[in-house]
Amino acid sequence: MLGHGKARGTSGFFWLNAAEMQIDVLGSGWDAESGILLPESGSRIDTLWMSEAGIVDTFFFIGPGPKDVVRQYTSVTGMPAMPQLFSTAYHQCRWNYRDEEDVENVDSKFDEHDIPYDVLWLDIEHTDGKRYFTWDRVLFPNPEQMQNKLAAKGRHMVTIVDPHIKRDESFHLHKEATSKGYYVKDATGKDYDGWCWPGSSSYPDMLNPEIRSWWSEKFSLKNYVGSTPWLYIWNDMNEPSVFNGPEVTMPRDALHYGGVEHRELHNAYGYYFHMATSDGLVKRGDGKDRPFVLSRAFFPGSQRHGAVWTGDNTADWDQLRVSVPMILTLGLTGMTFSGADVGGFFGNPETELLVRWYQLGAYYPFFRGHAHHDTKRREPWLFGERNTELMRDAIHTRYALLPYFYTLFREANTSGVPVMRPLWMEFPSDKATFSNDEAFMVGNSLLVQGIYTERAKYASVYLPGGQSWYDLRTGIIYKGGTTHKLEVSEETIPAFQRAGTIIPRKDRYRRSSTQMANDPYTLVIALNSSHAAEGELYIDDGKSFEFKQGAYIHRHFVFSDGKLTSSSLVPNAGKTLFSSACVIERIIVLGHSSGPKNALIEPSNRKAEIELGPLWLRRGKSAPVLTIRRPNVPVADDWTTKIL
Amino acid sequence: MKIYIVIPNLFLILGVLFISQIGRSASKSLLSTDPFLGIAPQDENYYKTSSEIFKCKDGSKKLNRAQVNDDFCDCPDASDEPGTSACPGGKFYCRNAGHVPLLLFSSRVNDGICDCCDGSDEYDGKVKCPNTCWEAGKVARDKLKKKIATYKEGVTLRKQQIEQAKLAIAKEEEELSKLKSEEKILKGLVQQLKDRKEQIEKAEEKERLQKEEEEKKRREAEEEANKEKSKAEKEANQEKNEVKEQVGSEEEPMESTHDDKIGVLDHDPLDQDVEEDKSNSVAEVEHTDKSENASPTDGIEQHAAEGKEESPVVHETDLHAGNEVSPTSDQATKQENDVAENTEGLSREELGRLVASRWTGENTGQHTEEVDAVKHDHHESHEETPEDTHAEEYDGYASETDDDSQRYDNDDMEDPVDEDFGEEDHYDSSPPYKSDTEDESDFSDITSTSNPSWLEKIQQTVRNILNAVNLFQTPVDKSEAAHIRKEYDESSAKLSKMQSRISSLAQKLKHDFGPEKEFYSFYDQCFENKENKYVYKLCPFKQASQEEGHSTTRLGRWDKFEDSYRTMLFSNGEKCWNGPDRSLKVKLRCGLKNEVTDVDEPSRCEYVALLSTPALCLEEKLKELQQKLELMNQEQPQGHDEL
Repeated sequence: MLGHGKARGTSGFFWLNAAEMQIDVLGSGWDAESGILLPESGSRIDTLWMSEAGIVDTFFFIGPGPKDVVRQYTSVTGMPAMPQLFSTAYHQCRWNYRDEEDVENVDSKFDEHDIPYDVLWLDIEHTDGKRYFTWDRVLFPNPEQMQNKLAAKGRHMVTIVDPHIKRDESFHLHKEATSKGYYVKDATGKDYDGWCWPGSSSYPDMLNPEIRSWWSEKFSLKNYVGSTPWLYIWNDMNEPSVFNGPEVTMPRDALHYGGVEHRELHNAYGYYFHMATSDGLVKRGDGKDRPFVLSRAFFPGSQRHGAVWTGDNTADWDQLRVSVPMILTLGLTGMTFSGADVGGFFGNPETELLVRWYQLGAYYPFFRGHAHHDTKRREPWLFGERNTELMRDAIHTRYALLPYFYTLFREANTSGVPVMRPLWMEFPSDKATFSNDEAFMVGNSLLVQGIYTERAKYASVYLPGGQSWYDLRTGIIYKGGTTHKLEVSEETIPAFQRAGTIIPRKDRYRRSSTQMANDPYTLVIALNSSHAAEGELYIDDGKSFEFKQGAYIHRHFVFSDGKLTSSSLVPNAGKTLFSSACVIERIIVLGHSSGPKNALIEPSNRKAEIELGPLWLRRGKSAPVLTIRRPNVPVADDWTTKIL
Repeated sequence: MKIYIVIPNLFLILGVLFISQIGRSASKSLLSTDPFLGIAPQDENYYKTSSEIFKCKDGSKKLNRAQVNDDFCDCPDASDEPGTSACPGGKFYCRNAGHVPLLLFSSRVNDGICDCCDGSDEYDGKVKCPNTCWEAGKVARDKLKKKIATYKEGVTLRKQQIEQAKLAIAKEEEELSKLKSEEKILKGLVQQLKDRKEQIEKAEEKERLQKEEEEKKRREAEEEANKEKSKAEKEANQEKNEVKEQVGSEEEPMESTHDDKIGVLDHDPLDQDVEEDKSNSVAEVEHTDKSENASPTDGIEQHAAEGKEESPVVHETDLHAGNEVSPTSDQATKQENDVAENTEGLSREELGRLVASRWTGENTGQHTEEVDAVKHDHHESHEETPEDTHAEEYDGYASETDDDSQRYDNDDMEDPVDEDFGEEDHYDSSPPYKSDTEDESDFSDITSTSNPSWLEKIQQTVRNILNAVNLFQTPVDKSEAAHIRKEYDESSAKLSKMQSRISSLAQKLKHDFGPEKEFYSFYDQCFENKENKYVYKLCPFKQASQEEGHSTTRLGRWDKFEDSYRTMLFSNGEKCWNGPDRSLKVKLRCGLKNEVTDVDEPSRCEYVALLSTPALCLEEKLKELQQKLELMNQEQPQGHDEL
């Protein structure tokens, strides 16, 4: 629970317990008949916390700012893991891409339409009868070859591995788990037998470290037949879902490691399963490759093991809207790598909704299109040229902003502060932001508001703070601290860069983020009222754990007095463990008067031309903005660029 | 040997180090040495001018010549960077001498992946792309040559088919108009006979009434007994028919045909009784006829109709049951509680399946629900499928013609491909699917109607009869009356056969067989494809289905051609749970045989398939391909010889 006010700042309360719980919030709408009275003071909200069983630990976090509380909470539960760079890009999923031909076809269509994507996902139907770690060999006769083909384009694949193991004597995993006694037991001590996708199933007891270790071995390239180093994992149904269990889960008297009843630890089961899977991928990569595991179930600390998503949503406008507060809430609890299924899982989205969802989803920390198998195909090129263009543009925007997102993921990794933030986290004393959950911040520099209605003509967007905001697409400046009624076009949702910030971009689109590694950067400097701005850029190899040994580049850009200075934020910067040959090809300065013709670059003592150029290369017309052309300064180096 | 390997490796490593050193201070190495890289031949003049000023192609900007291909995007239309990746949305041209030239998205330039077979898209030294154009080009040329050969033969086949189709259509049109005029005459005769028959019947009735007066009481008692008897007989017959239908479902239609023929003879006496009801309503009579007579095709037909209906029913049951647990998330959560509380009634497995069905929509296998749903759907399927009803009505008098017999003949007994490339005289006479014995005999009946002497004979007979019978003679001459009845029966049977032939011909000729009638031969054919456990059956102008074992799912009824006769569309198939009605799109392409391949279901219940057929082997396309091959041969680099 997090409390935030203008006067007393922010504080947090953390009730650590894994059993069923009830929290009564004695606010407006509370039923006074219950015998519990509302507090007398209207400015106070009381809460009542009840857990069915288990141990309760409680923590108070004293702030005083919102970011402090999140930092304090993640110092207890763990920092969000640094993700694989590719996993911060766009993911394409569907239940199900049916066979190798389908996969190849979808993959090539992305190329045909010049739409980048990084990961293709396979849902449960890829398996041999829902036996995870196996392949339906009729549909997927050559899984390695399929993955290698994707990998040749720098792409990755994700397959699903759920915790329910098919009770089939011929299934090696079941045989092994049975003989080793690794399954959760029912109240009588027999292996618990529940119904899930494969039919009759049992569930490995992930509470037991020995079983987690056993499970994690299953992801080795040798054990997971048909897997490659380019394959990552999706954990679904790990609540655990049991179709014929009480409340669609395991009975409360099922027995775990140490004879503990399921009722005491229900909410932690999915966490341990996620952990074991994630550990499996670390082991597979010999400790040199970051895992990527998406999980549906989570618990405090899950942020250390991978990404989560908001589960099976529906293709309607309300669920588009509600995705924002859901992801924001997850972010406040440390789960920053999260997103909602773009397009909505159940049902067929109208084309406009789908486009709006892509435009919003491009700013989710986890950006994946997904669909139920009863829905029509909805890959971005299926809705006519214009809509293809709109969805391509949304995805391109995400790819251009990947350096910014990755820098934010690093910030989350070191501070717990989420990538996607409620407005009040950045503007804690601006009361108008407190109840606004339609708009959000990406980092401290970007404000985004979704369009949540059909055929919207206008949107009211509140731009907080004392500084101005620049329209992300057009560069048009808007005053802060007020609500603007803006005209809305189909081309984009409202998004703004905050004055006083610098956003790093990569404007060259490739097939996937992998090919962007050597591409040059663009810096977009949005000047504030005192003609100053600052920003950061974090770069590492995007996949290994070397960054933990300091193998990364972390730049601090400061613009003041007409001069942009790049300096390193790496402690003991003398030793270079990671280098990059990338240069900065373009520096855009928003809010600067036009007129200067040249910029002086030091220490190389070169001049670069200044001209008026577009804010974006492919996103329609914008007013020309001041552009330093080809400064070509190495991103890894210290330098200054002074506007003459 | 070892020395040879070690030395070049050392050089290589040194070289890499050297480059990376330079790369850090100046990034010039990214640029190609060719200032005109990536420019298509037709654009070369635009770029290769002596002017120092370069204008973006869209005219939006003027640049220094040095800004062309300088790895920085200046033109909004990307025209200043044809050879680099600087402008998103730009295009890079690779010549690919020996193969076909390629226009790439600029996003492929220097991305570490070899896209052009000549390797020209990767020039920053990070990867080495070997030139594979010659080998790749040869493969492509060979492929193209094969395609051209197919087209050449296909064009000829197509022409033959068109000729045959035109002849056949003309013949059928002629037959149709002839039948129509004969039908008029025959109709008149039947009417005359009918009038006469009724007069006789009236007289008989009068006679009978008189007799009844005389022996009223005894008659009444007898009547009662008779009624009981005839009722029992009818029931017995019905049972018999049902048994027959079941047998028919497991036997070859040919066999059941023979059985039924014998059956017809057996039933003959009964027909007399039936006729007395005839005046009531035509529809009813026909219906009765059908069930009592159990004419050969009727048996098959009913089976077929049942097959058609049964599977949708079963399916809709699934859907129905599924629907009730439709997984919109709200509902799902609500039901989670319901389900949890109502578990007692279900076995654990049933419960599991039920909950799973929220995602899958599959049948949960709950018995009570299923039974209800079946009942319900049975009811519905009768009410809600007007097309079926229509088909039944139509079958009422078109029972012996194409629809059903053809379904069986073509599919079960003949290979459609063989048929297609069969004897030359294939289309000269009536279509080959009529080769069935039963059909032939029937057909000879009808075709004989085209013989005027036959018609005259009937006319004469009728005239004689009408003249001979003395209406006012009492008692009625029994043999005369029987004679008239027989004539009437025969003539009206002939008439209904004729009408069914007319109706089926008209139905057929109404279809759009393509601009040159190239799809005429499809009318009488079905194409099959086996894909894993399913057999897909496509009957153009009729319907398409998916069969799995004994269950058949209709994927769609014939809708139309689309995309300038390059696609066939079957729509309004059986409804999918929580989804659209099933449909099938068949893409057509040139091939020497009519062959269905690559049946696929990219979205749930939306099927696609490929059908290769000579009908798509167009002469213009052949010329286009030949030109393409010529161009490819021109692009050959010197020193290579194609043969």
